[in-house]
Amino acid sequence: MAITQTEFETLLSNTSKRLEGDIVWQEDEDRSPCFEFRAEVQSSSGWPLFVKGSFNPLIPALSYALILKSAGRIYALDLGKDHHNPQCTQVGEVHKHRWSEQFRDKDAYMPTDISAAPSDPVAVWVQFCAEAKIQHQGQMMSPPTRTGELFL
Amino acid sequence: MNAKDLCADFASGLGEMFVCVPHGEFHRIRTPYLYPDGDNIDLFLKRADDVVTVSDLGETNRWLRSQTLSLRRSPKQSALIADACLTHGVEFYKGMLLARCRPGESLAAVATRVAQAALRISDLWFTFRTRAVESATDEVADFLSEKQFSFERAEKLAGRSGRGWTVDFHVRAPRRSALVYVLSTGSRSAARSVAEHVLAAWYDLSHLAAGPEALRFVSLFDDTVDIWAPEDYKLVEPLSTTVLWSEPDRLAQTLLEAA
Repeated sequence: MAITQTEFETLLSNTSKRLEGDIVWQEDEDRSPCFEFRAEVQSSSGWPLFVKGSFNPLIPALSYALILKSAGRIYALDLGKDHHNPQCTQVGEVHKHRWSEQFRDKDAYMPTDISAAPSDPVAVWVQFCAEAKIQHQGQMMSPPTRTGELFL
Repeated sequence: MNAKDLCADFASGLGEMFVCVPHGEFHRIRTPYLYPDGDNIDLFLKRADDVVTVSDLGETNRWLRSQTLSLRRSPKQSALIADACLTHGVEFYKGMLLARCRPGESLAAVATRVAQAALRISDLWFTFRTRAVESATDEVADFLSEKQFSFERAEKLAGRSGRGWTVDFHVRAPRRSALVYVLSTGSRSAARSVAEHVLAAWYDLSHLAAGPEALRFVSLFDDTVDIWAPEDYKLVEPLSTTVLWSEPDRLAQTLLEAA
């Protein structure tokens, strides 16, 4: 089921959200150039909430998304590609998607709290967690380095 | 503008919508096409001898995967990707969409094929189950419209503390206007937090419930799923009128009452 604006605001402002354990970037099922991880976000409210990260070192492009199992993606930080809003405004290569009942997760804005570069996923992660009020009780490992020619 | 001018204007404008710039070891083409969430589709070019490879560098697959918790595609999704690649003459290799532009071929045509494949594959997003579902608040909006109430949705109001609160509905009725919060959640353990959030809102907005144009505060519980505890109702009762969504006529009656 979709969530209401109130539910979203409640979820996002809940400071008990936490992630336990270290985060390790892994290859996806296609062994593509990208790395990803998935982790459960726990909270006193018991939301079925997960965070999914994906990183493409070739561009570089980086995304961290909060996914509510019952509603899909509700909040996401994207670095490395532009965004076009439903109101026809253009947002740059650093943007955040934020759930609204009107536009769901299609509306994005330029955040002022993300200063780290997409080539540094660990530094961006720290800033993302701070803004999304997530305590990470562990460590994020740096993504592995790719070697070799990709497709030529 | 005559027909010839129209065509010339269209042709020149179309080209301007694709921006190609050097990007590290690649050239990046920023296309006007969008993934379903509004992110722009970018393509990348790399030359080796006399062949230029056009690729999304795995971004379509990455975008799609970042929308879901599933670690693996379903066989049906994989079949749809293969079908889209076949249609547009694109290779799916290690999660990337690839096409070669050989001597004598049009780079624009090859790039368009890859962009079309990216569009089609990203549209697999529409098959995700969580997309086409109406929220309880949507249902309430439909009900208010049906009952011909005039209302404003998702109005942001300033509380006494200075904090802003987004109230689901500001309903204007002949005798008295009302603010309505819809309390809805799919999680029993989240129910208390939602009730506490609404309680805090009513408390902070209490100045709007005073004076000759005092607003009525209505807490509308979505009880279609049995997740609310008696304490949740009791939390908001002192500051608002509590109504259950299973009794929509009572909501209409409450909004029509004078006091």
